[in-house]
Amino acid sequence: MEIVALQVLNSLFYAAVLFLIAAGLSLIFGVMGIVNMAHGSFYALGAYVTAWSVAAAAAVLPPAALFVLLPLGAIAAALVGLAIEPTLLRRFYRRPEEYQLLVTFGLLLVLEDVIRLVWGGTPLTANVLVDSLGLIQVGGLPYPVYNLLMIGVGAAAALGLWAFVYRTKFGVLLRATAQDRRMAAALGIDVGRIYALAFGLGCFMAGLGGAIVVPSQAAVLGMGVEVLVLSFVVVVIGGLGSLEGALVGALIVSALRTITIQFWEEIELAALYLIAAIVLLIRPTGLFGRKA
Amino acid sequence: MDKELMQERRGFLKQFGATLGAAGLGAAGVGTANAAVTPKGSIPAKPVKVGHITFLTGAAELLGGPGQRGHVLAQEEINAQGGLLGKRKIETLFADEAAGTDANVKELRRMKLSENIELFTGVISSGNTPALGPVAEELRVLTLFNDGCTDFLFDKAVPNPKYTFRVTNIQSADGVTAAIGAATHWPNVRRIASLQPDYSYGRNVFEHFVLALGKLLPGIEVVSESWPKLGTTDFTSHITKILSNKPDLLVAGVWGGDYVAFYKQALRFGLFDKMKVATTLAFGGYPHAIGKDHPEGVLAGVHANYHFLYPSAERWPINKGFVERYYKRFKEYPSFESDGAYIALYLYKQAVEKANQLVGGWPDDEAIIAMLEGAGIDSPAGYLYIRADNHQGYKDAVTGLSKHLPGYDFPVWDTESIVSIPIRSITAPPNWPKPGKGHNESTAAADWIKKTWPAAKV
Amino acid sequence: MLAFVPAFAGTYQTQLLTYGLTLAIAALGFNLLLGYTGLLSFGHSAFFGAGAYAVALMMRYLDVASMELLMLGGIVFSAALAALFGVVCVRHTRIFFAILTLALSQVLWTLAYKFFWITGGTDGLRVPFSTVSLLGGLVSFPGADAFAKFITYYYYYVLAVFGLCVALMWLIVHSPFGKTLQAIRDNETRARFLGVRIWRYRWLAFLVSGIFTGLAGSLWVPLNGLTTPDVLYWPQSGKIVFFAVLGGFRNFTGPIVGAVIFNYLEVYAVAVTEYWQITLGLILIALVTFLPAGIVGSAVRLGAKLKRRQRASP
Repeated sequence: MEIVALQVLNSLFYAAVLFLIAAGLSLIFGVMGIVNMAHGSFYALGAYVTAWSVAAAAAVLPPAALFVLLPLGAIAAALVGLAIEPTLLRRFYRRPEEYQLLVTFGLLLVLEDVIRLVWGGTPLTANVLVDSLGLIQVGGLPYPVYNLLMIGVGAAAALGLWAFVYRTKFGVLLRATAQDRRMAAALGIDVGRIYALAFGLGCFMAGLGGAIVVPSQAAVLGMGVEVLVLSFVVVVIGGLGSLEGALVGALIVSALRTITIQFWEEIELAALYLIAAIVLLIRPTGLFGRKA
Repeated sequence: MDKELMQERRGFLKQFGATLGAAGLGAAGVGTANAAVTPKGSIPAKPVKVGHITFLTGAAELLGGPGQRGHVLAQEEINAQGGLLGKRKIETLFADEAAGTDANVKELRRMKLSENIELFTGVISSGNTPALGPVAEELRVLTLFNDGCTDFLFDKAVPNPKYTFRVTNIQSADGVTAAIGAATHWPNVRRIASLQPDYSYGRNVFEHFVLALGKLLPGIEVVSESWPKLGTTDFTSHITKILSNKPDLLVAGVWGGDYVAFYKQALRFGLFDKMKVATTLAFGGYPHAIGKDHPEGVLAGVHANYHFLYPSAERWPINKGFVERYYKRFKEYPSFESDGAYIALYLYKQAVEKANQLVGGWPDDEAIIAMLEGAGIDSPAGYLYIRADNHQGYKDAVTGLSKHLPGYDFPVWDTESIVSIPIRSITAPPNWPKPGKGHNESTAAADWIKKTWPAAKV
Repeated sequence: MLAFVPAFAGTYQTQLLTYGLTLAIAALGFNLLLGYTGLLSFGHSAFFGAGAYAVALMMRYLDVASMELLMLGGIVFSAALAALFGVVCVRHTRIFFAILTLALSQVLWTLAYKFFWITGGTDGLRVPFSTVSLLGGLVSFPGADAFAKFITYYYYYVLAVFGLCVALMWLIVHSPFGKTLQAIRDNETRARFLGVRIWRYRWLAFLVSGIFTGLAGSLWVPLNGLTTPDVLYWPQSGKIVFFAVLGGFRNFTGPIVGAVIFNYLEVYAVAVTEYWQITLGLILIALVTFLPAGIVGSAVRLGAKLKRRQRASP
């Protein structure tokens, strides 16, 4: 029984991270119509920046104060995103999808090497954050409090994002631009600014995913590419461009992964892609997608 | 471990000719550095081009980086003495193994056909040597792999090698070494869980570990299997599954960044308190990649059998000198990949010098190959020899329990716990039938263990 | 001119060009969908890999050595797969089509990866050129030193198949069938009004496209010496897309040129620097940014501009 409880928690933690990444991916697609192949690299960037800054400050700050550094990874990812959107991506909005896929794929390759150039090959860690919160007992088995907290952060991020998109003026502009770019421009909305901010926000989410995951794991080369395909599966199941879809998709994917690992590991990967293909067959726009 | 049990276990190890504690290294006393001999005949001054493919990016850089540096150190040392035979400096073309198997095949062809390399070295992945070995034979390029140690290479992919050699221990030795190490330190374990990367290395470790342990300890039972994909960083579900199956012992072949991520999560889930853990590659990457938080008492394998503190400085000065020079040059400690890449170049140098003494001038590949077959060399890891029948390198296999010693920011081996096994005790002898020739085991070693090891006494 | 390459280029350059030609066949097939039907497939690795694995499996389990039989097997296998995937995929268009093809190709990848007792898993399956024979067993390559001989013969072999493929594809795109595909691409609604059964045309295009790409995989595999799950993984699909965009998919010849050039780019990026990812990435970004019509497309435009200028100046 305690195993079930633990696996549910594992699944939720994984879903929280996947949601953050997938929500960013979905937001960028929903507003700008771009499938960002480099999205996983922003996740990796967030992980590296957070781990690096925590390690640098661990000598001088008490562990509790180090939590302040957690969002740094997300902020760094957002800043890089804000710099890249106007300089690189802007000229591709009017071009067909294949160009957008290719330019972001090129970006993925560049970012992978930049991370290696800056931080080298040794994995970076920030476990001091996990250890500072200690463990709780779940039915006699230990579970890190940090992971619980981050499930909460994932939930809060979901709520916050929802409120931001549906309850603020900026959210209205965002949705208006997503629905009809030309109409929005005609109504005097600064579409360029909306796009830059949307891209930055999407990268922020990915970076936040990396930042919260790194204290419990480690920042390693190649982590971004690894997560990219999974987050694709999430948005495909949930529906491209849908935030609710990203949430439900993340929950489905991580539950499916945990169940197959526990009971029938051979089919773990095939099951994920098959579910995605089946959802696409029945509802090509995903569970929560809008009609294209 | 108490004294009495230690005594009993020493007795247990005797059947392999193996030793416990720092006493190992049977071959100590073999000459140290080769005395310089004057080269015969005229040697051209043209540099020797060497190709080296290893992981320079991605998660496996943790293995490839130290390998590259071991190669660079050997090259710089040899060049500082004037080069091979005092004349020919070594120049190396490096390429990234992470570009993928197909790209590696293309790159090896380019190195040979377009750049005219005379020697090819490197290669870490067990998925890549079986692809590149046949290409090296086709191209007739002398090749010294320093890892990628799957049995499959010389059992099946290149059954009759001519140009292809490999300087590190065969892969099946990993699982068997871990099994002997586990049976030595924990003779009471019965319920086994396994966590292996889902590719040929993981399957090889699992198969040989279970096979060997089954012969060593009576009535073992595999209660849990996990096969995460290479590159996995979230292990929490795997860990919970392992805990749910209540094993006494976990055998783990996950390595590199995957192992770092795994142990950090396992630690927080209390896995190390609930079972013994035997690994094949925990100490295989950069030594400093493993943190102070790594638990003690984990059987920490090093794959192709080198850890920079063993053989110890007083017993084996070659290792002491190597570690000091490596540290001075790169400000870090070497790994088994550093040792493998380093000794590969020196093995080549030794073969070139011997062949030169026989034939004069710069020897051709045939002459160098003749000097490599059956060659022996004192490496930082101890005595290494190349078997003539399968071109495979052999050296004593070692493993030990992790411990935090003063002076290091990362765990090292507990000197008292090191198990050293003569490699001939754990691998099939020369000319043992290969898979498909009279048996259908996955490796010659598996067949040999099944047929010749006595079953455990209850 | 292509006929004389082995005479003056040496074994290395010849084999590199042979690689390029096999990839060009894949690009040719791919572009029937992208350039002429307006469907972006992000799962063409499935067909390339199907062709490659069909050859490897036939060789391993049926001891087939004849390249013609192996190619036939590759064509049948990839055709069956394309027919099946096509039924599922062509009901959708645009990004949904792309993602559906991606998901299905990934299913195939996991099968090759996980069913290691059949496919060899990540070790892959070996296809040594020394066990392949060409022209119904007329030419074979025994012995250890046959590599140079193999490359010379195989180059001409691939060149011939490539020539056939180009001719065939030319006929297809200029046939009424090809014209109808372009009509659907340009205006689906109008085509529908004219009574065209769009679904059937797209399915046929998908099938033909898959067969060409599968054939390319079959031809590629003896050259590479083995096939691994990498050829089924999504970056392989990305490469095929890139062939077309790099050369220019609005041109018949664009993807062919793109495939050959990409092959050189990749080989030399890995060769010259350990920072090959950043090098390749920057080149990719620069090319799609500054040559939106692709290499051939831009060259054609430039040529037209020059001609106009010539005409303008007496």
